[in-house]
Amino acid sequence: MAREVPQNKRRKKITITLREQTQCRFCREGKRYIDYKDIESLQKLLTNRGKIFSRKRSGNCAHCQRKVNLAIKRARFMGLLPYTA
Amino acid sequence: METAVKRLYEGLFLIDSALAAADWDQVLEMLKKFLNRAGAEIVSMKKWDDRKLAYDIRGKSRGTYILIYFHCDPSRIQGIERDVNLSEQVMRAMILRTDRISQEDMNKPTPAELHPEGSYEENDVSAEGDAPDLSAEENDDLPEEGVFGPE
Repeated sequence: MAREVPQNKRRKKITITLREQTQCRFCREGKRYIDYKDIESLQKLLTNRGKIFSRKRSGNCAHCQRKVNLAIKRARFMGLLPYTA
Repeated sequence: METAVKRLYEGLFLIDSALAAADWDQVLEMLKKFLNRAGAEIVSMKKWDDRKLAYDIRGKSRGTYILIYFHCDPSRIQGIERDVNLSEQVMRAMILRTDRISQEDMNKPTPAELHPEGSYEENDVSAEGDAPDLSAEENDDLPEEGVFGPE
């Protein structure tokens, strides 16, 4: 019985940390348009090899992930981001 | 099917750095000629950045980007794109409709203005990726799962 008490405490902490970020990074900033020229923010969503992070990894909502995908592909065409590295 | 409404467009043009450095005025004149031929009204025209390209385009590893905002008849955008693609001096071009852009965003300082002495080095980060780094990066797909820990 004594074991279960600390476990409950642990679980409470976890729920708090998960609730802190309920929105994706672009929704939090209130951005309506993700610019393909904003390379610094797009680079954070790429691996070292230039692959796009999954939604699970980047934490983006579906709406923003679609916009990010489009922006990255535009930036790649213009030679701003790599297709592969 | 001519529409009277002119929309605001944003065009980013990629030019070889050597050419831009040698004859900047001639490059701007050439772009103006393309836009004027389609009856576009140029709102602003500036150098966006001069940076190292993420990959070689037409054998060039560095390029100069020119950002132009202009009002144009939607049906004549195709003509601009055709002219630009036929041109040997413009390596890449991207023309997008930007109806909802604010004046502030349009006047936002370009990377060339923010870092006058070569911002292209930031882009070099991608070149540092080694194979061991990749495996470490791509395997920790779910960092938050570790929070739960083994019982």
